[in-house]
Amino acid sequence: MSVSNLLENWSDFRHKHPVEDVPHDPYKWAMSIDLDACTGCNACSVACYAENNLPVVGKERYAHGQAMHWMRIERYWPEDDREFPDQGAQFLPMMCQQCEAAPCETVCPVGATNHTPDGLNSQIYNRCIGSRYCSANCPFKVRYFNWYDYPTTENVWPAEMTQQLNPDITVRGKGVMEKCTFCIQRIRVGQRNVKNEGRVLRDGEVQTACQQVCPTNAITFGNLIDTESKVHQQWKAQRVELAVDEQTKDTEEGGSDLRGYRILEELRPYPSVMYMERVRESAI
Amino acid sequence: MIDNNFDRRDFLKVLGWGGAAVALSGCGNTSIEDGKETVVSYVHAADYVIPGISVYFNSTCAQCEAGCSISGRVREGRVLKLEGNPDSVINHGKMCGLGQAGVQHHYNPDRVREPLLRSGDKGEVITWEKAYALIAEKLNGVSGDQIDFLTGTVSGHLKVLLGNYLDSLSSKNHFVYEAVSPAVQRAANLKSYGMEMPRFNINKAKVVVSFGADFLGAWVSPVHFSQQYAEFRKGVDGQRGVLVQVESKMTLTGANADRWLVVRPGTEGILALGVVNALGAAGLQLPADVAAAVKDYDKERVSKDTGVSTEHLTKLAALLKERTPSLVLLGSAAEGYAHGSENAAAINLLNHVLGNVGKTVEASAAVPYPQIAPATGNSAGLRMVNNRLADGQSKVLFTYGTNPVFTAPAELKFKENMAKAGFKVAFAHYLDETALQADLVLPLNSALEDWGTIVAEYQPDGVQIGVQQPLMEKLHPNTLGMGDILLALIKQRRAEEYKSFDDFYSYLRTALLKNKSEFAAAGTDDDVYWNDLLSGGIINVGGASNKLAGKYSANIQLPAPAERDQNYPLTLIPSVTASLRDGRNANQPWLQESPDPLTTIVWDSWVEIHPKKAAELGIVEGDIVEVSSKNGSIKAQAYLFPGIHPDAVSIPLGNGHDAMGRYAKGFGVNAFQILSRVFDNETGELAMHETQVKLSKTGKRIIVVKEEGPVGGSQQGRKIAVTVSSDQVDLSEEV
Repeated sequence: MSVSNLLENWSDFRHKHPVEDVPHDPYKWAMSIDLDACTGCNACSVACYAENNLPVVGKERYAHGQAMHWMRIERYWPEDDREFPDQGAQFLPMMCQQCEAAPCETVCPVGATNHTPDGLNSQIYNRCIGSRYCSANCPFKVRYFNWYDYPTTENVWPAEMTQQLNPDITVRGKGVMEKCTFCIQRIRVGQRNVKNEGRVLRDGEVQTACQQVCPTNAITFGNLIDTESKVHQQWKAQRVELAVDEQTKDTEEGGSDLRGYRILEELRPYPSVMYMERVRESAI
Repeated sequence: MIDNNFDRRDFLKVLGWGGAAVALSGCGNTSIEDGKETVVSYVHAADYVIPGISVYFNSTCAQCEAGCSISGRVREGRVLKLEGNPDSVINHGKMCGLGQAGVQHHYNPDRVREPLLRSGDKGEVITWEKAYALIAEKLNGVSGDQIDFLTGTVSGHLKVLLGNYLDSLSSKNHFVYEAVSPAVQRAANLKSYGMEMPRFNINKAKVVVSFGADFLGAWVSPVHFSQQYAEFRKGVDGQRGVLVQVESKMTLTGANADRWLVVRPGTEGILALGVVNALGAAGLQLPADVAAAVKDYDKERVSKDTGVSTEHLTKLAALLKERTPSLVLLGSAAEGYAHGSENAAAINLLNHVLGNVGKTVEASAAVPYPQIAPATGNSAGLRMVNNRLADGQSKVLFTYGTNPVFTAPAELKFKENMAKAGFKVAFAHYLDETALQADLVLPLNSALEDWGTIVAEYQPDGVQIGVQQPLMEKLHPNTLGMGDILLALIKQRRAEEYKSFDDFYSYLRTALLKNKSEFAAAGTDDDVYWNDLLSGGIINVGGASNKLAGKYSANIQLPAPAERDQNYPLTLIPSVTASLRDGRNANQPWLQESPDPLTTIVWDSWVEIHPKKAAELGIVEGDIVEVSSKNGSIKAQAYLFPGIHPDAVSIPLGNGHDAMGRYAKGFGVNAFQILSRVFDNETGELAMHETQVKLSKTGKRIIVVKEEGPVGGSQQGRKIAVTVSSDQVDLSEEV
């Protein structure tokens, strides 16, 4: 594809996201997270460190805001000036929302971050030049930059610690942006395995590391196109649609008594992660 | 995930035939040059090795005492990741962060690799032969009564072997010490239910009232209870379970409660009796002796004593009366007082009154082989050893799986007393504070290199014996399994009896095969059975049937709320976090960098202060404050935390090491050190919440290293993390 061809026929190449003209088929990876089940225990975050070769940056780097936790737990307090937070804290697992119209993608000067046919926001490490525009443009602040060469000069994995690294993915060097991939290495292996059988992945055949470990099954991951998948059924039951910036259920008179919502939906990034509101008992 | 096309079971079955050499050959761990190992191309790989394809070995997690079954992902001879074993009745394929960090224990760069003999201030590397000879020499002429073993929780065949070794020494001095343990509760449960640790069916309850039991964080079996909690939230008969947490400092479980009731420290029992009284007032039929016992605990008085409003008391009683069955749990926050046993009895009484006993509190199965049942720890074990050391009764001290120099309150002077023993042997993974005081340090295999069986104290369904097997070849040639060392030592005494066992593996295999008929179909071939056992990683035995006995006691003498000491006006709550607990895993960097869920602080200790109290004292976030008890003081950063009683401050345990390794040493402060020597009146357990402290500013201020941003826990008016009231949501059609 020459550049002149690209420019002359721009309208053919340009896709509007979410893609109405070329729908994802057969896969569109998505998630739903039940905040009433999530306890904020951090098991998912540790699983992500183990699966994705995330460096432990240490206290000083952490203080500089350079932690590399692709999956982090945010903790919020109620803001009503009560003396005690007597309905507890609110935990929120936050990772890349794999937006359909990702604000990070359009600003990358080198196309290092772009959309895959199965609806993932991918990051091509060896194309990334470290401009960090993507991170600046991400409303969820889930992109993490390698300010240092963690494996070498920082010696993050001393001695035998290197043997723990997952050989299915790289260890990123200095100057590269990275983020949650929905465990793409697991997805790709699964897809290749079933391709030989001439079928598509069934629900549950690929799990993300965070989903797999979650003690309360708060995280559901799967193929939104597959009507049999739990994630599809949850989105449907909660009446959350992917390709809108305001859910129909919320515009109806009297509002909705369903829990599903997407964070910062009004910014029109079309996130692929649906959260379900935390519930608190009214009788006590 | 990597091997969807491959039948994991088939792979696992193959493994195990090789016996002790079961782990795949590791790369570069032993010397090729000296001929101990040969290089074999993967072109000629063993038939279960396919380069690039992972194999899963089942084993049992040893990061805490819950005994979760794990499945280690192994590739090219290296263990990469620990996942849960779905067949386990304890964790059903799930894990916590602490468990997953087990690989960082295994690959830790600070592990002890050689036997070390004290030589002045340094450790001199010696051979195992010399170490064993030295132990034999030092034990010579010492009577059994002068030999002490201080260990953490031990179970399974290791416990059997340890018992046999002690027997061969004619010693009865096995003391089991856990710095953080539900010991008061065990004693209370034994009275109330007839067993120390019955089953708690959170998933069958419609309402759970937890008095400081952090069952989602660090209490007893958190991964198991987290799964029950998820079911409980989905609800019995479609009615979402309601969690009420009563405590003075918010735990992770408290943070997930529908109603978090902050109580004045130490008044948990009063509140429990107040609820019983309110239940009676609401029309629940109370036995006459109970009604008489609680008649003085009317709402006004209880509200005044505990600080819980009469409105909440009324609502709680109404909820408990209306929604049955419920479940009342009792945790460390309620038992950590001089009157901890009375608190515990009052809280357990609630379960009796509400009719939960037999429904949500059920009998757990008894381990049918008492010799492998866990020897559970408490702080009494430490006290006894400490007294013996102080009196010079103990000449030779062995320590294993415990770090008393770090966890004993300074007032006990354990370190000084330990020096009085003539010969101290530490079986250690790290040069921790206790190992540094030892004369001989013997390096242990990691839990992922070792053989064993683990029986957890809390058994949710029958009795599950967890099988521990090596997930890979040893990283360091000169470490040994605890079982191997004990076997070598016991052979010094009873060579004839144990000569047929080359190593702990053969001991374990022989012992388990001997009981084969009880675990498997009669006539199963030994090798087939053994391979099944290793591939499954679990032995499920029905367990001897057990009945709840015990009865409530209405004779509960609760003291009036303590008056505040003018000089030490605040109660210190040493908090047990899910990651660091008593500090034994502090050298695992994932755990240090995993933010505390409530404060989001990393890599440090902190002092939680209620914002109101902080304003009164002129303290802001990041002020370095000195926390002084009668027994010493520590300095740490202040963190303004709304989830704590204004008369209390809290410091997490686990950090503040001055040894152990690069990820632990020098981070934070050790709150164990300033604990006061106050004990539970009935059990003699260290009362962890009885330390009174005062705060003073040092004038220094730092920036707190934490995950939350500059606006703290505020959403700035945006719809990020949303909460909805249960009467405004329809949960019936959810998937």
